[in-house]
Order: sequence, then C-alpha cells, then structure tokens
Amino acid sequence: MKKFISLSLLTFTSLFADAELESIKEQLEQQQYNTQQLESKIARLEQKSTNTSASFSQNAYLPDIAMILNMSALSRNVKNSDYENYAIPGFIDAGDAELPFNKERGFNFNYAEVAMRSTVDPYFDAFAIFHIAPDGLEIEEAYVQTRALPFGLLIKAGKMKSNFGRINSKHQHSWQFDSQPIIYESLFGPDSISDAGIQLQWVAPTDTYLMAGVEALQGTNDKSFGDLEKNNLYITYIKSSIDIGDDLSILGGVSLAHGKNTTQNSTDVYGLDLTLREQLGSYSSLIWQSEFLQRNKDISTTTDKQAGLYSELIYQYNNNYSAGFRYDRITKNEADLSNYAVDTNNLLRYTAKLEYKPFPMSRLRLEYTNDKTKVIAGERKDINEVMLTLNIAAGAHGAHDY
Amino acid sequence: MKKILLLTILLSNMLFASLNVNTTYQTLGEVAKKIGGELVKVNVLASAKYDPHFIVPKPSLLSKLRRADLLIINGAGLEIGWLPPLIRSANNAKIQVGAQGFLDMSHFIPMIDVPTSVSRGFGDVHAQGNPHYSTDPYMIPIMAKVIEAKLSALDISNEAYYKANLENFLKEWDAYLQKLNTKMLSCKDKKLIEYHELFNYFLSRYEYKSYGNIEPLPGIAPSSKHTLELIHTLKSNKIKIILQDVYHEKKSALFIAKKADASAIILPHEVGAVKEADTLENFYNTIAKRICR
Repeated sequence: MKKFISLSLLTFTSLFADAELESIKEQLEQQQYNTQQLESKIARLEQKSTNTSASFSQNAYLPDIAMILNMSALSRNVKNSDYENYAIPGFIDAGDAELPFNKERGFNFNYAEVAMRSTVDPYFDAFAIFHIAPDGLEIEEAYVQTRALPFGLLIKAGKMKSNFGRINSKHQHSWQFDSQPIIYESLFGPDSISDAGIQLQWVAPTDTYLMAGVEALQGTNDKSFGDLEKNNLYITYIKSSIDIGDDLSILGGVSLAHGKNTTQNSTDVYGLDLTLREQLGSYSSLIWQSEFLQRNKDISTTTDKQAGLYSELIYQYNNNYSAGFRYDRITKNEADLSNYAVDTNNLLRYTAKLEYKPFPMSRLRLEYTNDKTKVIAGERKDINEVMLTLNIAAGAHGAHDY
Repeated sequence: MKKILLLTILLSNMLFASLNVNTTYQTLGEVAKKIGGELVKVNVLASAKYDPHFIVPKPSLLSKLRRADLLIINGAGLEIGWLPPLIRSANNAKIQVGAQGFLDMSHFIPMIDVPTSVSRGFGDVHAQGNPHYSTDPYMIPIMAKVIEAKLSALDISNEAYYKANLENFLKEWDAYLQKLNTKMLSCKDKKLIEYHELFNYFLSRYEYKSYGNIEPLPGIAPSSKHTLELIHTLKSNKIKIILQDVYHEKKSALFIAKKADASAIILPHEVGAVKEADTLENFYNTIAKRICR
C-alpha cells in the first residue's frame, strides 16, 4: 500500500507542478487519518465481545480431572495360592502380606484412579486421588494446601502421602518399577506412610535448595506404628539439592519418623536418600536413585533393629524408550526369627525393566524380577517373574515433580 | 545471627537490584533485562539447549522461584509439563497464578494456529494455539510493553526509569526491525518444511510457506511412512529448506535432505539456543542469516 502511494506520489510529482504536490500531501494525510479512524474503530469492535455462556454455567471452574488405568499380564514360577501367603522373615509373616498390585499369574487389573486438582480460592489448592481397585474404593490422598503463606511456608492438611524419604510420596503409577522397594514394603506395606494429618514445610531463601518439613500424622500403619489411642506419628526431614553445570542435579535427604507401635512402644525409622540425575539431552538421561531405611522398633523389653536399601539406575534413551535396573537388599535383621526354620540371611532382589512410551500419557513396561526375599510354604524360594504392564494417564493429568 | 542475616539482606537490597524476576525462557529474560536494567535481577529457569516442553523440574529451580518477586511465563501450555509442580512447592505466595507477581505473556500475544477442535488423538496440541511466538521479532515490543507495565506496577517508585528504558528500547528495536526487514526482502526461496511447528510465527511474518513437519503429529516421533511422504512432497514442490531445531534428533532431517536434495538448517528457537544467538538481535539475525537464500 505504502509503496503504491509513494510510487504514485513520484509519478504525480514528475507529471505536475510543485503546487500540486501540496494538495496531494494534504489528501494523503487525510487518507492516513481516515485509515487510523477505521483501525481504531475495528479495534473497538473487536474488544466488544459479548457474553454467550449459559447464565449459571460453572464449567470454567471444574477441577482438572485425570483417569489413570493400570493393568498387567504376568508369569511367575509360584502358584497363586502359595504366593499370596508369602513371608519376608522378620517383617511380614505368612498370610499377612497385602498384595494390591499384580498378584495373580495371568491377567491383573490393578486399578482405575480418578485424580482431581483445583485451586479452591486465592488461599488454597485442593487435590484428591480416588483409587478404585477391584476390591473397593480408597481415598488414596485428599488434601488442601496453602498457596499464600509468607516466609516460604506451606501447610498441607488431609489424608496424604508423607514426604518422608524419596519414593514415599510418589504414587504407584509414577514409580520407576511396578513393584515397591522391598524395604518400603517390609516396613510400611503397599501404601507406604500415608495417613491423615498435617504437614508444615519451609523452603529456605538461599541459592542452594534447602527444604525442611515436619508432619504430625495419625499413625494408623500397624506394620511400624498403629497405636490408635491417639495420633502417634511425627515425621521430620530435610532435603537439599545442588546442580553441577546445566546437566547434573543431585538431591539428598535425611528423614526421621517417630511413632508408637501396636505394643504401645516407640518405633523410630531413619531414612537417607540420594538421587543423581544427569541430563544427556532433552529426552535422554541417566538417573541413579538410592535409599537406605533403618527401623528400631521397641517391643516390650527388646528392640528389633532392621534395615534395608534399594538402589536403581535408569537410562532414558529417548522420549520413547528407557531401561532400568534395581537392587534391593535387607541389610540388617535383628528381630525374632525363631519361627523360621530356614536360612534368613541374604534377603535380596533384582529387578530389570524395559519401557516403551508411545506418547507421554501411555506406558508399556516389561519387568523381570528375581526375588530372594521370600519364604513360601516354609521354604526359601527364588521367585522369578516376568510382567508386562500397561499404564495410561488420560485427561487433565498434571506434571510429575522431580 | 538472624540480625546479621537480615542486615546483609537489607544491604544487598540497597546495593543491588530491587526486583527479582524469573522468566521461564531466555528470550523473555532478555526483554526483561532491557526494561529492568540495573534495578532487576533476571533468572532464566530453562536452559535454551533443551526442548522447552520438556524441562526437568530440578529442585534448584525451586530455590530460584522461592525468592522471585515476579515470574514471567511464556504460557499457552508450553510450561504445562514442568512448571506447575514447581510453583506449588516453591512456597512463594507472590508468584502463584493470579497473584501480582505472576505474568502469563501469552495473554497479550495474538496467537496463531489455534485449533478448532482439541484431542490428544492429534498429538500434543496446545488448545490455546501455537506457543512458540518468540520466534517472531514483532512480538518483542509487545513483550517489552507488558513487562514495563508489570515492573512499574510492582515497583512504582521506579516507574520513570522503566518507562525511559522502554522508550529507548522500542526505538532501538524499531530501527533493528527495519534492518532485519531489508535483509529478509532479499530472501527468495520461501518454501520449506519444519521438524516441529516451532517457527510458524517467524514464517508467517516473512511469508514463508511450510509444507509439513518431520514429526507426523506434534510430539510424536517420525515414522518411515510419513518420512517417505515428506520426501515426495519436497521433490514435487521443489522444496530445498528443512528447518531443524537444536534439541530433536537430526537423523531424520539429514535423511530427508539427502533423498530430496535439500539442506537441513539448524535454527535457534530461543536466545542462547546456538552460540551466535547470544543477544536478542543476534537471535533473529541468526535465524535470518541461516534461513535466507
């Protein structure tokens, strides 16, 4: 347009006298003014959008809702009826194991979960995850958390997974392996430390990440706690992280849980965790994550001292493929093992996986386990298991944290 | 101890920047530096060498967010995969969504590629439109104006300073755009394909036409069938340019380039994504230099 005008301007000036020029300039200015008027009129019209929503519609306030499905096909060298009565000497007696995930040889449908998140108001966020398994519905987590506290503070209240350790707060579908680390299963069972209560966390205003938290929980988990006369569980932890360059990040934590067990005596659990993550590219990384837990459980006159660790290495090759290996071991087992007529040393497990994610929302995982932690029908037995799991997270599923 | 800490914090506040600004990506950060000048300390959360959709939510980012007075995000879903959990755990009331110190830049940008229907069946589509608007140099003045308004609102005593910076910068940028436009006028070959729809804003600004993407759907890895179709498209339309970014695999682009006698060009998607793109002007200069033929 401009070019056209200047070109015509040029032609005109060469054809006519200078006197003409002034009038043309005037015309041009007039045209420019008109254009401006038109443009601002258009802008005004564009702004005036009318409200077309239904009068009392609240759709815009619906929470983010996600659906998580988890299932597997499994083969194992132990009969189902024997497997469900396994024991882990010193921790789980025969018949006491809870097996919510991947119990059966053949097909397992583990759960359908509905996860919801919403900002309640300027002061609170709310989150709930309803875990629907074939044997019933469970409120896995449901809590409110503050969003406007000063001084780097945060309070969470409701039913929650504790931030004790590294993996405790994570949901099964976001674990690196479908099975739980042996030490977590042994000390806390499949739900880990998950209870009603309140949590206070503080992030320090420092260059280096430093977070400290305290929690007061009901302590219903009767594997380690479970004195139900009143709330009995107190947890504290401190976590810190540093980066080395753009690509390597290190996160470490120390945790302590103090509660009362079913014998009304104290239980203390100490946890150490360390995660190293080296980014090899946008979609490729190497993650090494380890945790060590020790439990001192007082029982009338004696104290059971038990400890274990897991260490896992995950190689993410690209957006689609990853592989991993995990080593689990019970490192200390000073407890009453007189019920077991078998060798109870060297309780350990190896797990390997290959994973394929066609898209970030879906995941196929092939997992092989060689488990030497279990006593089945009175005998120590090597359990070999091959499992293919499918997990999907559809809908408005929020991002996972580090 | 506490007193000393308080005193140092106070002193350092007086000596140095008064506002702590975090931006999710580098280009936003560069604009914030231009407007904020010496009064603002800018921290960029994501490294420009990584895919902006897939930033690792490292805990170290929490310590940055914890101390931010202002968080400026790109928006339009680009940060959805990494930022929300960080905002929730940084325990900073100032930068929560809806607070004074939270700024979603996409709310001020005329979006393109807004889908009429949204389903993950179409891959990783952003319902709000294409979020990669910072590849268009004409978006920079919009960002600058919005950032100026926000900084002035947060730090009203220095409003005049931010205003002056904005005016200077807009003048500079206008002059720069004239130069860039002249340069772009000399580009004759306007046909190309991309890996991901990363440069659409730049392409539509300078009247390029994209004939397709190496990824069959947003966020989906290339398939052989789709790649063969692309090679055919390139050949039959005599397309010689393949736009590649710094973070996706480069094998597919090189393969297509070889088969279709085209060339794969690595373009920066953000300030700092390649070495030469170290400033705002050099970012667009690098794109112009590499794409223009």
